[in-house]
Amino acid sequence: MPLAVTYPRPMQAPSAEDGPIIGVRDISHSFAGGLAVLSHVDLNVARGEFVAIVGPSGCGKTTLLNLMAGLLPVQSGALTVNGRTPVAGNREVAYMLARDALLPWLTARQNAEFGAMIAGQTAEERRERASSLLAKVGLASFEDAYPKALSHGMRQRAALARTFCLQSPILLMDEPFGALDAQTKLQLEETLLGLWQSERRTVVFITHDLSEAIALADRVVVMSGRPGRIVAIIDIPLARPRSIRLLQRDPQFHAIYSNVWETLEQGLSG
Amino acid sequence: MNRELRAGIARPTLLTSQPKPAVRMSSGAVIVIGRIVLIVVFCIAWQYLSDNQLIKPLFFGSPLGILGFLYDGLFVNRSLLPHLLWSVSATLIAFVLGSVSGIGCGLLFAVYPNVGRFFDPFITAFNALPRIALAPLFILWFGLGLVAKIAVGVSLSIVILLSSTVAGARSVDPDLLVLARTLGATPTQVFFRITLPSAIPTIFSGLRLGLIYSLLGVISAEIIGSVNGLGVVLTQSAGMFDTNGVFAVLVILALLGSVLTWGMNILEKRLLRWR
Repeated sequence: MPLAVTYPRPMQAPSAEDGPIIGVRDISHSFAGGLAVLSHVDLNVARGEFVAIVGPSGCGKTTLLNLMAGLLPVQSGALTVNGRTPVAGNREVAYMLARDALLPWLTARQNAEFGAMIAGQTAEERRERASSLLAKVGLASFEDAYPKALSHGMRQRAALARTFCLQSPILLMDEPFGALDAQTKLQLEETLLGLWQSERRTVVFITHDLSEAIALADRVVVMSGRPGRIVAIIDIPLARPRSIRLLQRDPQFHAIYSNVWETLEQGLSG
Repeated sequence: MNRELRAGIARPTLLTSQPKPAVRMSSGAVIVIGRIVLIVVFCIAWQYLSDNQLIKPLFFGSPLGILGFLYDGLFVNRSLLPHLLWSVSATLIAFVLGSVSGIGCGLLFAVYPNVGRFFDPFITAFNALPRIALAPLFILWFGLGLVAKIAVGVSLSIVILLSSTVAGARSVDPDLLVLARTLGATPTQVFFRITLPSAIPTIFSGLRLGLIYSLLGVISAEIIGSVNGLGVVLTQSAGMFDTNGVFAVLVILALLGSVLTWGMNILEKRLLRWR
């Protein structure tokens, strides 16, 4: 199966289309003490695209995401989100953390509404959105449950509902399913795809799980170990809409998976 | 069948507390009965030892003597009632004043950490000071009435509430703060929606402790010098070798402390249902 593999350098010519919604130009980043975490990263994310970033732990993928969210200042290079340098708390971006970050004193519905409330949506609007989202993530009968009464997977479902309740065109997700068991993870990936396929917002999804990245994304960005640089950007030719459950039994999915592995090994050794 | 199995796993289950099984119920009852038996056996042994002069009744009193004192003081001549009322009202006033000002200062320190840093050594020094040692000074300033004992109670409860509020506000889950940043929450929203609710469980344990310490401060001040209150009854009884009177006051204080703690627990369960 032929795979479109593009290596970041020499850089691809900027596409003539309506421009990337996220543009990362030659970004390098180091932490206090001089620890370099990112090295010369270039990446364009198109509007409505689902991009997954994979790499070993400590490779700076979360740092890259935090830069996109404006949680960290850009040190070197240029980064634009919707044409502007991102500032934390801007309404263009919804950020989903690895841990659920639910407020324990709020019910599932109140948690789902929380982001929208801060963003200033009216009470009726956000209640309606939150209720329909909770139904979509399978928590319809748990609207009034507190987080302590929810299982791990259910809490992350509620966090998913909170993220989608925001009307931001861009979703940044930092290993949201990383701590879940395999079964629950597949279910949540399915839920995420279901939500995404109905709205097609731009998603940047961090994971250390290659199979998750391939199953979800249009393009998979592979990063090296620290200091992280982009080793390969791989187009995933799987048709949409996808079903995670069916993909597990799809020979094309497994063929792509092994091809990507090969590419990776070449890329990492080369 | 395989599909059914998967659906079964997929269906989320609410982890509510199941109705307690019958074995649990009876074990709870056994514990309650056991406690009553323990008290009864202890009192019978005490009474027996006292009646047979195996321990000196003058020094150790006897359960029936204590009950008699309580019965007289509470239902016959009712001489204990005003004292009980003075002590309880002083405790509650000291508790409310100490809590409100302690929580207020704690939140101020949480919002303006530099203010907290400025006052920290003073508070540490004040906290290290045995506050009962302030009682003579307070009595000198405020007299033998209500105010001096309230002052001692406040001096104890305020620091407890202050430190538990600061600790609670510091215990905020950092993930929640990251979330708030990405959502663009204002400092006021962060304070009222995240910091304050996060601090409330810790504040509550401070309140429970503060209530008991208010009682401690009030009774100590009464023992050192006051015109009324249970502490006064205690010292007077001890001075007259009325050991039953001393024990009677101790029984009242133990019950009072338990009732206050119990009330706080109920309030806490109501307000912190999410825990």
